[in-house]
Amino acid sequence: MDIPPLLLARSQFLASFSFLALFMAVALALAWMLLFFKVRARLGGQPGWTAAYRFWVRVFALCFVLALASALPVLIQLGSLWGGLMDKIGNVAGPLVGFGVISVFVLKSCFLGVMLFGQRRVSELAHTLSVLMVAVGQLLAVGWLVALHSWMQTPDGAALVEGRYQVYDWMAVVFNPSFGWSLGLTVLGAVLAAAFLVLGVTALQALRRPLDDGERCAFRTALVAAFVAAMLQAPAAAGMAELTGRYQPAKAAALAGYWHSGDAPCVVLAGWPDPARQRNRAELSVAGGGWWLGRDAQGGYLGLDKFSGMQPPVALAFWSLRVAVLLGLLMLLAAAFTLLRLRRRGLDPAALPAWWQRGLVGMTFTGGVAVVASWWAALLGLLPFVVNRSVTQSEILGPTGAATLGYGLAAYLALYGLFSVAFAAMVLHAARYGVVPVRKAGAAP
Amino acid sequence: MIATLAAALGLTPDDPAFWMPMVFMGLLLLLIAAGIVLDGFDIGVGLLLQLAPSEMRGRMMGLLSPWRDANEFWPMLGLGLFCAAFPFAWGSVLGRLYGPLACMAVGMMLRSVSFEFRIRARTQHKPRWIFGFWAGSLLTAVGQGAVLGRVTTGYQTDAGYGWFAVFVGACAVAAYALLGACWLVMRVDGELQRRAVSWARHAIRWTAVGMVAIAVTLGLANAGVFYRWSDDAHLGLAVAVWFVMLLCFVGIEMLLARLPGKADRVGWLPFALCVLLYLLMLAGLAYSFFPYLILDDMTIWDGSGAVASMRLVLAGAVIAVPVVLVFNVLAYRSVFGKERRALPALPAP
Repeated sequence: MDIPPLLLARSQFLASFSFLALFMAVALALAWMLLFFKVRARLGGQPGWTAAYRFWVRVFALCFVLALASALPVLIQLGSLWGGLMDKIGNVAGPLVGFGVISVFVLKSCFLGVMLFGQRRVSELAHTLSVLMVAVGQLLAVGWLVALHSWMQTPDGAALVEGRYQVYDWMAVVFNPSFGWSLGLTVLGAVLAAAFLVLGVTALQALRRPLDDGERCAFRTALVAAFVAAMLQAPAAAGMAELTGRYQPAKAAALAGYWHSGDAPCVVLAGWPDPARQRNRAELSVAGGGWWLGRDAQGGYLGLDKFSGMQPPVALAFWSLRVAVLLGLLMLLAAAFTLLRLRRRGLDPAALPAWWQRGLVGMTFTGGVAVVASWWAALLGLLPFVVNRSVTQSEILGPTGAATLGYGLAAYLALYGLFSVAFAAMVLHAARYGVVPVRKAGAAP
Repeated sequence: MIATLAAALGLTPDDPAFWMPMVFMGLLLLLIAAGIVLDGFDIGVGLLLQLAPSEMRGRMMGLLSPWRDANEFWPMLGLGLFCAAFPFAWGSVLGRLYGPLACMAVGMMLRSVSFEFRIRARTQHKPRWIFGFWAGSLLTAVGQGAVLGRVTTGYQTDAGYGWFAVFVGACAVAAYALLGACWLVMRVDGELQRRAVSWARHAIRWTAVGMVAIAVTLGLANAGVFYRWSDDAHLGLAVAVWFVMLLCFVGIEMLLARLPGKADRVGWLPFALCVLLYLLMLAGLAYSFFPYLILDDMTIWDGSGAVASMRLVLAGAVIAVPVVLVFNVLAYRSVFGKERRALPALPAP
């Protein structure tokens, strides 16, 4: 077998990044949801909010541990796989990576210990504040990561001088054209991932036994959050699409499956893009939908034929986007109909028929899969570049041989598989038997 | 010396382009030292888990938990600072260390996830996570040792150099095991302490072999380093350092032979000597390398980013350093001395 090192390096980075992005997203959204539970519990009213906090803080802790642990390989691979990357964009990426690490460090060392282990030792107000700071800190850390990612998609504020980017405007680097939409989509995706996890787990509990107050509170919150996030996704995705056409016409054409520049654009619902023949096989499409494609100076649509030799992996990017959009629509429908059905029943999941509850259980991980799929569409659509239209991935590839990369990939995949299984097993076990608070002997004050 | 160095670069000593990389280098060395010592005893105790009888393993991991949150972040901070402050060296260094670093990354992930998942796992699953913590510690120690082996031989890739890296990896396992065992000797009494003494006495030989191998290879493989240690002005210093290191080894061995027993009152001394030994080794390496990040190829000034970027990183460091200090003073204030266990409550009459 003779697999090119570039492919192995790509798969490895994509796998590591997806794992990080998935658990980072769930941890981020759960942190804000926990803050909501905590505030509601403090404001009085139903006692269920405290129970909801106590259960979901366990799941949050598991996600946070996984996200933190999987950040290390992504950071290391940024240097050990892509040896030439920092040499080109170090002036931009160095401080952004540094700030990301510092954000995580401050939130973890100052606030996370209090949030997870210090509830009895500090006042209720101090504990609520530490939950708030954990949520804010995670948003900041994700913000730095999205800043770097979106800068690589739509570089701004820096100029390539003798092979190295030199920054002339830091505000333009961070608030680059795609930063806003990218951050918005990341946060909305995170909310959907966490909300459907909550919905699925609560529905599973409702299938087995009568629910208690805490579970009903968690379900209500997650249902409303899922509906709002799913609604907001549409305008955010439209904004991102329009921007992609403007700044990254090759990516837009690949995601649309639009090959020939002269053709009338259409919405390709399904099909298999075939790079060898430069067209879609088994295409199923409807007319219209060219509004977001890139255009040349005369106003003609830019197809993939204008970028021959520099095309992204069309089929994978094309299908990643379709999976993400499909799951997004599915989640919107599920949230809307569940909300409609339960609006007069106090949003109580016990009032749903069993087949409906089973459906929600089946959708437990749809939000997570959609997060991964939309990252794939964004990352694969950028290829063969890592910085849009200036630095290609093949020129930054490190010197490591294919065999070593293969062993590395196998080891990482085995570990990610093990962690995913363990995570799912522990969440299911907790859903069934409840959680016992853990103590860490003498954890940080 | 500073002035000469600055003049050689065509800069004045107060030019940010000159002093900022030096500040970052100092910070980076501090982080590496903290990683070796503080994350080190954590790795060391992890390595000893499989040697201990299974009923003691849970207690050994429990002993680590007060510092776990602080310990596990040192490598991340070090890597983050290296990436942010020396971006132009980042890829050249890490790109040539893929294998050892992948080993280390897998090990560290396994360690941190195993530790946290064990606390929250069902009782019957806890032994699996303890095994995971041990395996992660082993991979981390081998990976870090192999990184050291590759760095000291100038990243050469011929077959012999690969085996040298593996050998240094094995010695690093011994060195961390020694550190962890000495920490346990200081920390606990009774049966576990007796076992820790015996583990430490086994590990100390291989630690010594590894240190000598690193020093000899570094000197023989790099003429510049050999010259630096052996010219007239520095020979005295070199001999003094070696003498102190020898004293540390002898001291640790003599104390361990009297523990538990006559040396009970200085049970902390083996750990302290061990820390001193590793800090001296790190200082020796730093002295050999300065001002290079990659020997005879890339200096810290070649590797650092533009002044504007460095200024931002420095601003971040100014925020982070006080947090690091306050948090760690709080976290580590009780790292020395015996474990303090809550007295068991009297049974109700």
